[in-house]
Amino acid sequence: MPLSIAVIPWGILAGSLALDAGLSVLESQAMSAIVFAGAAQLVAVGMIKAGMGISSILITTLLITSRHFLYSMAMRNQISPLPLKWRLSLGFLLTDELFAIIAKNKGPHLQDGRLNRWYALGGGLSFYLTWNIASAVGILVGKNIPNLDSWGLDFAIAATFIALVIPSIKHPSILICVLVSLVTSVVCELLEIPSGLLIASLLAMAVGSLYAKVTREDQKESQEESQGDKQ
Amino acid sequence: MITLTIFCMAAIIFFSRYVFLEPRLPLKLSPAVLHFLSYSAPAVLTAILAPIIFIRDKQLDISLDNNYLICALLAVFLAITTRNTLLTTVLSMAVFFMLRFY
Repeated sequence: MPLSIAVIPWGILAGSLALDAGLSVLESQAMSAIVFAGAAQLVAVGMIKAGMGISSILITTLLITSRHFLYSMAMRNQISPLPLKWRLSLGFLLTDELFAIIAKNKGPHLQDGRLNRWYALGGGLSFYLTWNIASAVGILVGKNIPNLDSWGLDFAIAATFIALVIPSIKHPSILICVLVSLVTSVVCELLEIPSGLLIASLLAMAVGSLYAKVTREDQKESQEESQGDKQ
Repeated sequence: MITLTIFCMAAIIFFSRYVFLEPRLPLKLSPAVLHFLSYSAPAVLTAILAPIIFIRDKQLDISLDNNYLICALLAVFLAITTRNTLLTTVLSMAVFFMLRFY
């Protein structure tokens, strides 16, 4: 999973910031090991440092993590028929990165149209391992490197997501979805709306799917596909 | 207190990732809902990355001084031309950190 490289800077940042916020070495590592959620970890660590209470931290966590409801819903048809241990492990590992890989229509993760569970598990585990090793590095070296948070390690996540999003733009409706999401999320962030991520995502999904419906994009696509099958 | 926070966070996050994977949850997704959900990856990923790129110090920054923006445009260009996720990520990150430190 080459994408694992991209979580390294982000993991280092999470580890070093946790320690910086006053968490012990064990707590900092435990956060990456059992929470395993980049954005939520970074925000929570910032809130702990600012001395905010557990209830506001948990509400914020719920807001940030609410996108995973969308992911699990989108993967429901593929994963819910699997045995419990597979559901639990793939559920635990269902990060942005893994979802971006296994939600695609085509690729090595699909076997006869069904999700290859081993491929998904391998991908998820490689992100998990990399994330935790990177966090450990952040915990170890963070103390010795000043202002690690001003290095711009967050660019890594932006670069990765660009590399994931751009190739997925195969229809005008997806392009519209991306543009709506881009503008709305930036506006929400400027207005400091706490659930901006969710608002931007849902609005973009609604506009994108509506556009596809109005222009009958999906029907055109299935016609093309069935013609392709015949040839 | 921090340990409790960590465990509660873990519980919330795991719940959000798992709940709809549970077959006993009585929910049948209609084709319309599935179509709507098929836009979740590009929508959410963009909503995470856009503020990182466009906002510096809580202000919109669309200028050539914004390294994030310049390198993001480079990443878009690389993604379109090479279609290679790894190359796009590593190369744009390398340029970003070079601009930052030299």
